[in-house]
Amino acid sequence: MYGLKIRSIRYVFLVVLGILLTHDGVGQIRYFRAPTFPLKADTVLAYVAAAQDSIANDTLFQMLSKEGYPTAYFRKIRTSVCFDNKCRLLKVTLYWNPTGRYLGFDLAKGEFLSKAEHKPFKVAEYERLSELLADPLSALATVAYSELAPPTKPITKENEVDGVSSATAKNILDYVVEGAAYTTYKMWHVVYGPTQTEVARLTEKRLSPVLLLAILDSPDGSDKIWGLNHIRGFVVPTPALQQKLVRFIDKATYNLAERAIHALDPNGPNSEAWQVDLVDKLNTTNYALQKLIISKFKEVAVLNAQAKKGLAEKLPVFNGELVSNILDVFRQHNVVDTDICRKVADLLKNPNNFIAQKAFTYLEKLPLTDAVIEEQLKAYRLKK
Amino acid sequence: MKRRSVIATLGAISLGTAAPTLAPGEVLAAPYKLAKKSLKTDILVIGGGTAGVVAAIQAGRAGRQTILVENGSQLGGTTTTGGVAFPGIFFAWGKQVIGGIGWEMVQEAVALNDDTLPDFSIPHGKNHPRHQVRLNGQLYALLLEEKCVEAGVQLRFYETPTQITFQKNNWVVETVGKGTMTQITCNQLIDCTGNAYAASMAGFDVLREAVTQPGSLMFKLGGYDFNALDLKLIQARYQEAIQKGELVKADFRNNIVGVLRSQGDNISHVLGADSTTSESHTVANIKGRASLLKTLRFLRTLPGCEKTKIIDVQNETAVRETFRIDGHYKITHADYVTGKVFDDSVSYSYYPIDVHDENGVVPDHLKEGVVPTIPLRALVPKNSRNFLVAGRCISSDRLANSALRVQASCMGMGQAAAAAAVLASMQNKTPLDVSMTDLRKLLEEHGAIVPNGLQKG
Repeated sequence: MYGLKIRSIRYVFLVVLGILLTHDGVGQIRYFRAPTFPLKADTVLAYVAAAQDSIANDTLFQMLSKEGYPTAYFRKIRTSVCFDNKCRLLKVTLYWNPTGRYLGFDLAKGEFLSKAEHKPFKVAEYERLSELLADPLSALATVAYSELAPPTKPITKENEVDGVSSATAKNILDYVVEGAAYTTYKMWHVVYGPTQTEVARLTEKRLSPVLLLAILDSPDGSDKIWGLNHIRGFVVPTPALQQKLVRFIDKATYNLAERAIHALDPNGPNSEAWQVDLVDKLNTTNYALQKLIISKFKEVAVLNAQAKKGLAEKLPVFNGELVSNILDVFRQHNVVDTDICRKVADLLKNPNNFIAQKAFTYLEKLPLTDAVIEEQLKAYRLKK
Repeated sequence: MKRRSVIATLGAISLGTAAPTLAPGEVLAAPYKLAKKSLKTDILVIGGGTAGVVAAIQAGRAGRQTILVENGSQLGGTTTTGGVAFPGIFFAWGKQVIGGIGWEMVQEAVALNDDTLPDFSIPHGKNHPRHQVRLNGQLYALLLEEKCVEAGVQLRFYETPTQITFQKNNWVVETVGKGTMTQITCNQLIDCTGNAYAASMAGFDVLREAVTQPGSLMFKLGGYDFNALDLKLIQARYQEAIQKGELVKADFRNNIVGVLRSQGDNISHVLGADSTTSESHTVANIKGRASLLKTLRFLRTLPGCEKTKIIDVQNETAVRETFRIDGHYKITHADYVTGKVFDDSVSYSYYPIDVHDENGVVPDHLKEGVVPTIPLRALVPKNSRNFLVAGRCISSDRLANSALRVQASCMGMGQAAAAAAVLASMQNKTPLDVSMTDLRKLLEEHGAIVPNGLQKG
């Protein structure tokens, strides 16, 4: 059975190494993907964790920039890869981005990875290995170590076709380097095992609005999503961070937009400005995002006057559901302004009774004294 | 006088003996009578499953009087009662292709359950479930119902049609339910039964394959540590049980390791499962449950699986394929895999060709950039007026249907069918005579994504 469990952080020690990212010596094999941010490492902290696994070295290193931002993490892996009752030692250093995303691997000078029968990896195979390790949704997540091998011989002709082991092993070929299934499997499970959680946890302890702004500028979409998921409840947002979130709201990037709307602190700073910007976003987003944007206004403590006006201006052009959502916002904020309510009252004449009814339900409960609105309500009651 | 008094007293005693003794607070109920009712509505949707709910909400929100008849106790069909609470794929090649009311409900269910959406910007490759959104099925059912009620849809649970006739440009539908017998007159009828049941009852041709795809009884297992199991031994024991006739190979796709790995879920196969009638669906339910019980007992004989238990089982076997209408256009496999755009395309569909059979399923993925579309004509039975279908009974060949049947596509169809019905009802037309410009406008107003290339109308 393969498993890795870091039970508790026992102690932390500081190692000042100066610049560490100089691993490009001649003869050294290293494959790296785009980092979250390109800052140089200045300091390395080592976190020693009690681990119950087959990896001898239980130290997780955190690389920090001059500013104190975690730029990467690494772990020196020493583990046995066993199959067919034979074992060989896998010695590799694995790297993570501060978000827990796989960053890369390197081997000590002169070391190389080998496949079955000790054939060394070719360049294309190293590249493929790095690609495979970068896939967090790999099928390897749900495959048991014992399933990597096809059966030694088919049980019957019928089972040769349908037998689970052979079929599964064939499927697994898409997720492993051919001839190095066990090595790929072991490395993938270290990358996405408890160390990944630990990496994210250590970064969370250093999160600040400035660090989050840097993460949100990552060239990698999953880093951005990670950043967006680590704002509310993790930091007190700054105006710059809130404005940055609004800029993520774009119909072309649904996931980022949805997370950004979620991350906006409804009662965070600069509320006046971003509420207005958010209403503007209603002009450029699609239905799915428009609903989320409107709902956000239900969460704010005070509805900005300009935002309120902007929402009211959408009433004649939005569909019934969005109209209903805006009226819910107005209800939440006890909107009784005559100019706004007149806009709502105009909906009473809408040929779509679903919309007219929503407007009526909103207005009939308000203590209104405006004669124009009263007249429109009367006309609607008569029509009903 | 004395004699009369005695007789009267005897009568009272006799009556007193026949009537029940009522405790304080109890009242004697009137004899059971079937309540007969006549209702009128603009649009009637039959079937409150994946497509039907979206259709009813669309019709209600567009301001039409709408009735939704459902023969079960809750809305959502395959997604809720069937337990396939991962309703297909809404994004293709980095872009949203199915939106509108269906996505709105999915989005709300995700938010209310603090779930997270998959990252749709990362291609799913050969593993399309990566882009499936997992829902809390029961929560989803609650949301659907709330949205129907908010849209003014009159819900009629536990009812099923018994007769459908076309009279004076309207459909007259007789239904029966618990203690009800209702005549519903509607201008436009949308069959969302999934089985083309209403279409057939209305007299339109329906088709089916000689052998249909198996259904699935969704369930969840627990009580074992998958990583600690001797899978080779388990597989050998499973094959042995099949050889001996103790287990049926097709019941779990000949894949007991898969059952254990996924802890149940969408892996059972109930051959011939058909939800069209009470009798056929009863058979499918009994078959699904019996094979699950038998397999559970087998699992508990295996090393490491002795404490295997059922965590959950759905109330009914979910069905993949039954009848399809003979529509004005039949979507072919070639149309689907080339992403053909029609003049009357009203929604997108996106899923691999996905035919389950007794050996399992091997999805055939669409080529990069391909997003199939659904023409309105495929939702309209030949020779019909004021009649549409939405859902898996869409007019299509078997291979195209194996992808079109998936829930996200059915949601798109439901919204499109209802929008066509709304316009037809307002303009006193039959759906195929509705202007495509008007139809696109109405759909887009309600958030639906309509394929490009609509030039007609």
